[in-house]
Amino acid sequence: MIEQIRATAREILQNKTVDLVIGYEVGTRGATRPAFICSADEVDRLIWNDACTHNLTNYVRGKHVPPKRDAPPARLGLVLKACDARALNVLLRENQVPRGDLYLIGVVCEGMRQDAGFATRTLGDLQPRCQTCTERVPVVYDSLIGERKTSEVFETSEVWQELDRLGVMTPGERQAFWDAEFARCLRCYACRQVCPACYCVECTAEQLDPEWVGIGICTPEKRFFHTMRAYHLAGRCVGCDECARVCPIGVRLDLLNAWFRREVQQTFDYQAGIDATTLVPLATFKPNENLEL
Amino acid sequence: MNFITHVQLQDWLARMMKDRTVIAPTRAIEDLVRYQPVNSPDAIAFDFTRTAISPKEFFLPASEAILTIERVRQIAAGSNNPEWNVKLGEPELDRSQVLFAIRPCDTHALLALDALLLQEPVDAYYARRRKQTTLIGLACEHPGATCFCTSLSFAPDDSNGMDVMLYPVEGGYALEAQTEKGQVLTDNLALAPYRGERPQKTWLPAEFSVPPRVVWTQLFNDPHWGRLADRCLSCKICAYVCPTCRCFDVRDYIVAQGLGYQKIERLRCWDSCMAEGYQRIAGGHNPRPTKAQRLRNRFYCKFDYYPADFGALACVGCGRCIEYCPVNVDITEVLQSVAIKGETLATNSTRL
Amino acid sequence: MAETTFEPRVVGFLCNWCSYAGANLAGTSRIQYAPNIRIIRVPCSGRVDPLFVVKAFQEGADGVLVLGCHPGDCHYRDGNYYARRRYNLMHGFLDFLGVDARRLKIDWVSAAEGKKFAQVVSDFTQQVRELGPNP
Repeated sequence: MIEQIRATAREILQNKTVDLVIGYEVGTRGATRPAFICSADEVDRLIWNDACTHNLTNYVRGKHVPPKRDAPPARLGLVLKACDARALNVLLRENQVPRGDLYLIGVVCEGMRQDAGFATRTLGDLQPRCQTCTERVPVVYDSLIGERKTSEVFETSEVWQELDRLGVMTPGERQAFWDAEFARCLRCYACRQVCPACYCVECTAEQLDPEWVGIGICTPEKRFFHTMRAYHLAGRCVGCDECARVCPIGVRLDLLNAWFRREVQQTFDYQAGIDATTLVPLATFKPNENLEL
Repeated sequence: MNFITHVQLQDWLARMMKDRTVIAPTRAIEDLVRYQPVNSPDAIAFDFTRTAISPKEFFLPASEAILTIERVRQIAAGSNNPEWNVKLGEPELDRSQVLFAIRPCDTHALLALDALLLQEPVDAYYARRRKQTTLIGLACEHPGATCFCTSLSFAPDDSNGMDVMLYPVEGGYALEAQTEKGQVLTDNLALAPYRGERPQKTWLPAEFSVPPRVVWTQLFNDPHWGRLADRCLSCKICAYVCPTCRCFDVRDYIVAQGLGYQKIERLRCWDSCMAEGYQRIAGGHNPRPTKAQRLRNRFYCKFDYYPADFGALACVGCGRCIEYCPVNVDITEVLQSVAIKGETLATNSTRL
Repeated sequence: MAETTFEPRVVGFLCNWCSYAGANLAGTSRIQYAPNIRIIRVPCSGRVDPLFVVKAFQEGADGVLVLGCHPGDCHYRDGNYYARRRYNLMHGFLDFLGVDARRLKIDWVSAAEGKKFAQVVSDFTQQVRELGPNP
């Protein structure tokens, strides 16, 4: 598979279909990290393994913008897993990047391991999002590499079980749980920065006029930030759980987004990024629907 | 030097906890060891190389009200005119602090911060906490996976800056009070003298050395910074876990208001030059709009600007940034590639 | 010793064309209702960003009411449809975060429903009073 990825990247760089290929490479101390390949003779840096956890769609908007104002926008080649491909559909639907400027190298993925992407960490079991993944094959691509193997799909994962466990608590107990989580948060914004769907030029959390939330790194402010972010991702989060992976303190952001994903699926029968045309549920309505308020 | 057994250490800590806030490493969740105030010696974790987050939060809190203003409207006796009575407050520690089991690298970081913050004009809030905190150091026994203090010419058993220093030995620790503050804590301890040799360890050899300033100056416009920053997320993890990063944001807030009453806080909070908006000024201009400029600034601040201005490296080799960066921006990789480029430049210039 | 009973602070977001007019009608009809509500007039319930509700709770509200036109009767045609979807999600999310679901109420009150307005406000205020202060 690695050879096919490299060959495809080499081809699209050589025939100038793209100016840049974003994939994965070997980093230091055993880490896998995002790679930015701008010439065909560098494609041998590209790899593929079960530590390629990063959602490369996150880099699309930044790299599409031309380095100089009058230059044409860069055309990008992207190595995409199934979840990343759905994230790209979210961006396409929101008109953030034209499809014609992208060449998508879809890769069939058998799942990523926990603690992937960090220096010196030993890889753990399959990540919870991968355990329950029924896709494995990207929904949008220009080239597809790899074949779907029949690997086990778990019925449930720790994330859904934890959601259920929180569901049967009293509101007071849930508040205590979340207060403990938010108290640890540092407001480093890594979760927001790694998310492909969080691309606002000025984040609500950093707006000073009007000031939604103060600069304090205190529990009420952090509670607001996470509530706001999860809500702004409703119907747009694809469940890559990168936010939870990058958090240095291990705040359970995956639970916040998982709650919305489950609700949106159950109430509106919608999953983010299946195609690049259907509107997000919160951007549309049905006049006669009967929704619980 | 004296010898303290594990049991004596627990007793000593328990006694300290009665009238001081003892901050020690505890296991927070799963594998995360953090310095936190503890109420009992049982809560202390000893099996760590260095904590996840640095202890700088006890000297530079993540959020601190550096000034509190309370305004109360009163009508003085015999007058018809209301006046505002203003009371100002500053953060005070109600008890003195002990930071137990601080590692030499983290103390080096405090010494590096002192070079800036204790210089005129003194950062009074940092200075107050520094003065009211006694540091009990714990020498390292083996290096962490991302440690590189020896490459910066620091030693993992260095007692410089500690008030009391502990060296792990068989059956307990070799203990030495080094300053008056340390002696205050150790005065009532009835300890036997330590008869052994201070354990000599073979440390990790230095893998590289920090390139000199002239190399950094020459490489300022090198395209390497842009390529490195491609994967950088501009999050603030590296700065927030770092023991020497100290930049902040300040803003005033009205926290309580009522009839004839107002309480205002001037909040100082952590911020980082990695954030896109960090250097944006009134009018909207941003001197470092690109990721490359910001990431470059991080390394230059640590290895060029800070040493030039304050005489200390703003990096102590703890390796937290390496461990927590989600996209593997590795400061040792940067240092080594700067060193290599520096050599190429030197070779090229002699050739010319 | 006098006991201070807890008087809840209720914030109400009322859409200008229906529920605010309904509140006016309650007033001109001299219908009594719980005075705890602090009303914020917005053009449409679709204007009420769920984050306003979060902020209201954060700033000390014990209960929040969001009132709009009946679905199908929105002055701006479809603002309340969006509001309905948003609050369907947000109400559940706030409950998930530990804000008791009974502290937030979304309802539809038309300009002619002065009595209903008074009823909704009084009932809601009583419910919040029983729940106690927002932790």
